[in-house]
Amino acid sequence: MDNLDLVRLQEELSAQGILMSFSGPFSHSIIEELGVAVKNYLESAQVARPALMDVFAVYIEQAQNVRNYIDRREQGPEQARLSHSGIVVVARKDGRYVVSSGNLVDRVDAPSLVAHLERLRALDKAGLKALYKQRMREPLSDRSGAGLGLIDMARKAAEPLDYGLSAVDEQYMFFSLRVMI
Amino acid sequence: MDNLTIEATRSSPAIRFDAENRRLSIQGESYPENAAAFYGPVFAWLKAFLGGLEPAASVRVDLEVLYLNSSSTKVMLNFLDLLDQAAQAGTRIVVNWYYDPDNEAVLECGQDFGEELQSLSFVLVETPREST
Repeated sequence: MDNLDLVRLQEELSAQGILMSFSGPFSHSIIEELGVAVKNYLESAQVARPALMDVFAVYIEQAQNVRNYIDRREQGPEQARLSHSGIVVVARKDGRYVVSSGNLVDRVDAPSLVAHLERLRALDKAGLKALYKQRMREPLSDRSGAGLGLIDMARKAAEPLDYGLSAVDEQYMFFSLRVMI
Repeated sequence: MDNLTIEATRSSPAIRFDAENRRLSIQGESYPENAAAFYGPVFAWLKAFLGGLEPAASVRVDLEVLYLNSSSTKVMLNFLDLLDQAAQAGTRIVVNWYYDPDNEAVLECGQDFGEELQSLSFVLVETPREST
């Protein structure tokens, strides 16, 4: 990549208010390092502690959801393709923080994910708390591991969870999630 | 019974369980790569400890947790449930849940747990502000 491309990339990141982004295979240590970087950045920007911790928490849940989804699949070329599809972004837009993430998902997993998200979008704070309490008691090994994390994000979000699914090929769709804090 | 001591890492809390003095403490942030694996030894110790207590013994638990991810939240609830069962069976258990008034999420998390517990004494304790 020559310098010109880097300048353009920086302009694009800046225009979109992107403070931090990571695209590619996530390891646990990358998740930790970027989490610390996000926290330090928000501290130096003198962001109030509750907002800072909410941004950090939502970032951790999203990054771990992406990683866990990919980790559950059998190793091989397909898993490598999936792990390269992961992205997480922390941005500032219109005075709010926005934490987004995306990754390829198998088409067979899409309907239950959409159903879960639509259910959360329809609930108010009290309803989200009740569902959270119920899910909190489900065993850790449950395959729908992302369940409690999504409810937690919805409880912290200023607006209902925003998501998108776009077709990629016969087997996969690209799932993206956007949480406004 | 041996004490259990696990040093904190960036994503896992310090565990200091003192069997003789019956004082258990968990301090730090919890978002380990694999919560079940990290907390496995913690549960094994707790079960052995509770099983070996004299009737009506008293136990103090100090939880100063700055952040719990969703899987650590499930684990923490299981941990508190075990203590609650022991309290129901006659052990006197006090759990102090410390929170910084500037970190609302920790207070809310403590309130969520408090509502799930029946027999042990669960106390929300405000700590001095971290930032002035």
